[in-house]
Amino acid sequence: MDQKEIYELLAEKLGTAALGFNDEGVEAHADVAPKNIAEACLFLRDDERLAFDQLMCLSSIDWDGYDENGKGKSVKILGYTNEGQPETSDRVGEGDFGVAYSLYSHSKLHKFTIRVRVPRAKAAVPSVAQVWSTADWHEREAWDLMGITFEGHPSLRRILLEEHWEGHPLRKDYQMPDKWDNVPLSGQPYSNNPFPTPVVTPDPTPDQPAGDDPVEG
Amino acid sequence: MSKDSTTPPEGYDVQREQMLNFKVPEQLLKVLDEDGRSDDKNFILTTVDEVFNWARLSSIWPVTFGLACCAIEMMATSATRYDIDRFGAGAFRATPRQADLMIVSGTVTAKMAKRLKLIYDQMPEPKWVIAMGSCAIGGGPYFKYGYHVVKGVDFIVPVDVYVPGCPPRPEVLLEGLMRLQDKIRGRKGKFITPKWITDYAKKIPYRK
Repeated sequence: MDQKEIYELLAEKLGTAALGFNDEGVEAHADVAPKNIAEACLFLRDDERLAFDQLMCLSSIDWDGYDENGKGKSVKILGYTNEGQPETSDRVGEGDFGVAYSLYSHSKLHKFTIRVRVPRAKAAVPSVAQVWSTADWHEREAWDLMGITFEGHPSLRRILLEEHWEGHPLRKDYQMPDKWDNVPLSGQPYSNNPFPTPVVTPDPTPDQPAGDDPVEG
Repeated sequence: MSKDSTTPPEGYDVQREQMLNFKVPEQLLKVLDEDGRSDDKNFILTTVDEVFNWARLSSIWPVTFGLACCAIEMMATSATRYDIDRFGAGAFRATPRQADLMIVSGTVTAKMAKRLKLIYDQMPEPKWVIAMGSCAIGGGPYFKYGYHVVKGVDFIVPVDVYVPGCPPRPEVLLEGLMRLQDKIRGRKGKFITPKWITDYAKKIPYRK
């Protein structure tokens, strides 16, 4: 089924909660109001004409530096300096968070993407783990690395980092840690290397006679 | 290399040098046959250090321990084509209690650093460490934005040989192993942890 037709079916079901359709980019996607996302996903899965039985991917998006129209400016991502020390900044991230759901239907062989957008201050989206059980770990990863809360998730814990890690590293305003659990995470400049590389003067090699190399067959 | 090359360097052992330059007396040489062989009068002259070092460098048993894609090259090194067993280092032990060498093959994350330190502490002395690949040496491509990567395994454990590459080819790992064998061959005296290692280990923040 065509992407536009899928969206029309979805808009007919959701009414005003369907916020728009965009097929100008790389992948066509529909925007849905956050509080209706579980209802929309259930409809997309259970409707016989759509039958989206697989959630291919659940991605989180940080629109830090972008306004609502998608106009962006360059944002400095903090890392470590060349000396290995973490960079610091007072900048607080602006812009919304988003979650994108990439769907696939094995019976109808069509794809679709829906997207929600939540404010940064209250980044909470209803969970779809009851719709596709694979969303369980995807949402845990999105919570772990981006800090988006999924309401109604069966057990929203960190999945990659350890449970007492502070912060969410894939946010654009994340500041790199100096150490964690006494494990040093900052580097050191080369001049402070306790084992400096010894200066080795190579032995003068005798001149090779030209054209005398054996050729291996 | 330097101007004062005539003065012996620090740690130069005159006694050992005399021992190495020891010449076999004529009386002992006479027990050999004319063609240099002997049936029932064989003898070997060596030092305890050298025979122990020879035994140690000929059977460096690594611990089975792979972290990332460098471990694939480490496996290739131990397989038939490159055959690390030619150097006596083919017996990868499943427990650190039986191992002499830890090949840190890959990225050391903050989570794995604690486990790595635990494995290193469980290994009996004498023990050696090879840092294999850019990540284990200094963070590699994760240096700039790796919020979870230790920027070099020498922040966690002292390293004997650094093997560069991303990942290093098996020949390079074999070269590193041979350099480690050179290092063991040159050791003398009791096998206690050298002072520079213990001093350095005290400076590691993880120790606190």
